[in-house]
Amino acid sequence: MKSKITWLLATLLSIASTATFLLSSGCSTAGPQVPAGTAAAKQPLATAGSTANASGAQLWAQNCGHCHNIRTPTFYSDAQWEVVVLHMRVRANLTAEEHKQILAFLKSAH
Amino acid sequence: MRLLKPAMLALVIGTTVNVANGQDQGESNKFVSKEDYLKLKEEHAHLKQELEALKSRLEQLSKSAASQEGTNVKAQVEDLQKKGASRQAETDQALDEFDKELKQVKQMAKDSFPGSTKMLLAGYGSATFMATRSGYGPAQPLPPDSRDANSSFSATFNPIFLWKMSDRLLFEGELELELEGSETSTALEMAHISYLLNDYMTIGAGKFLNPGDYFVERQHMAWVNKLPDKPLAVYDGLMPESLVGVQVRGAIPVGPTKIGYAFFAANAPTLTTTPADPTNPIELGTLSFDNFDNSNGHISAGGRVGFYPMPELEIGYGFQTAAVAPRGSDVNALLQSVDLTYVRDSDILKGTVNLHGQWVWSHVDRYTYDASGSGGFGPLTFTNNRNGGYAQLAYRPSKLENIVLKNLEPVVRYDMINQKKTPVGFDERRFTLGLNYWLGASTVVKVAYEFDRQNGTGQNGNAFFTQFALGF
Repeated sequence: MKSKITWLLATLLSIASTATFLLSSGCSTAGPQVPAGTAAAKQPLATAGSTANASGAQLWAQNCGHCHNIRTPTFYSDAQWEVVVLHMRVRANLTAEEHKQILAFLKSAH
Repeated sequence: MRLLKPAMLALVIGTTVNVANGQDQGESNKFVSKEDYLKLKEEHAHLKQELEALKSRLEQLSKSAASQEGTNVKAQVEDLQKKGASRQAETDQALDEFDKELKQVKQMAKDSFPGSTKMLLAGYGSATFMATRSGYGPAQPLPPDSRDANSSFSATFNPIFLWKMSDRLLFEGELELELEGSETSTALEMAHISYLLNDYMTIGAGKFLNPGDYFVERQHMAWVNKLPDKPLAVYDGLMPESLVGVQVRGAIPVGPTKIGYAFFAANAPTLTTTPADPTNPIELGTLSFDNFDNSNGHISAGGRVGFYPMPELEIGYGFQTAAVAPRGSDVNALLQSVDLTYVRDSDILKGTVNLHGQWVWSHVDRYTYDASGSGGFGPLTFTNNRNGGYAQLAYRPSKLENIVLKNLEPVVRYDMINQKKTPVGFDERRFTLGLNYWLGASTVVKVAYEFDRQNGTGQNGNAFFTQFALGF
């Protein structure tokens, strides 16, 4: 039991240490990797801690990149993005506003 | 102005004629008297004054005329500017109307496709090579000869069918086709209908991925998972991968952030009370999640709540509780999970940092197995408590300019499961080092080496993996 607790504490300590380092390292507030040349790469970044005022491009980078690499807007057609974003609204618990803005951005980026 | 010039000319000519006339008269008389001279002098002075007055008047009139001309020119320029602006507005309006018409034509072209629903075939596939050293084996109990050194290739294909019936209705179906030995296994991973009830709530029914297990729902896909194999405990371990039932889920904005939630009611897992091998009853007390016919008639309840303190960080808690014993018995199980995900693009680190961690607990109430002893392995009475999880860190220097380095992604993972005090009889810890090369946003080649350590009745062993994974 003691060994379990030790491993658990070590794991949590490692995670907390890494998170603390990253938070204090002055990282940019962008979402994960944004393909160069896209509108998201050109737009100003969201304020840290804010999702309510983010643009469609920022929401796209933040929400999609949370789980996987971001696919470029040209990966799917407009009609396909409608299906994919609805699917991800359900799977990733997107808000209605996030759904609307991300879809509008992906369509406008074509 | 035109009238003044002839008047001036006439005045000068008149003056000259008068003077000349006087001279002619003088010449006729040969001499000019003093009176005549004074008279002429007075007339000359008078004419000079008149000339000066006319000059002054002329200058005033000239200035006045110039001012009048400037005003006229300014008015003309303003008029031209107004006309230009008017034409620009007309041009802009025409362009706007052209854009609108273009969009209408595009929409008509889109609408002309047959059917009013939209379907998409997505999914992923992978090809994996694994070479193991003697003693390597997963956490689940295996016959001794399964731990011999081995090398093998395997392949999986997971087509996902997405069907958008309307703006509110979605069907998701997923198959898993996998090579197992000389045969291909087929499984229905997901068959789920979702309906968007409002901005904050979606209801669904069918077979769906377990929303209480973050790795299962968000990370297990081959092109998303950073390593070729999946972590202990959180996948195919202590929590179910999929559930058959109903769920309600969504997200609620909270100030500058949001809370995501998912709650479900589904068929309950079944307690394993009869081992396959009575002489080695290692699976006693574990839960079988493939209880699609709900043989015991129990319904489980569970869910997950995820909170985003900032856009890059998500912290979640998931759970599932159910009665799991055969009818007439009172044995409950409680499964719990905590997870943390932190993904951030860093200018200082020149890339993306990806941190995942999850820990799960499985508790099954105390129960007496083979109480009569007729099964040949009992009676055995125990409470089954197991737990485990993983922490994983990946870094991709995507902001470097070197095209090779920017697509490399080193990964390190530590995962474990604790179950020594159960009939399984051993704990397991694994440490995995991996290196990925991204050929595209959803195409990756992975290489990894895994150190596997087991205590108790387990064995130690290492494994080498390489995997090609693609999402589409």
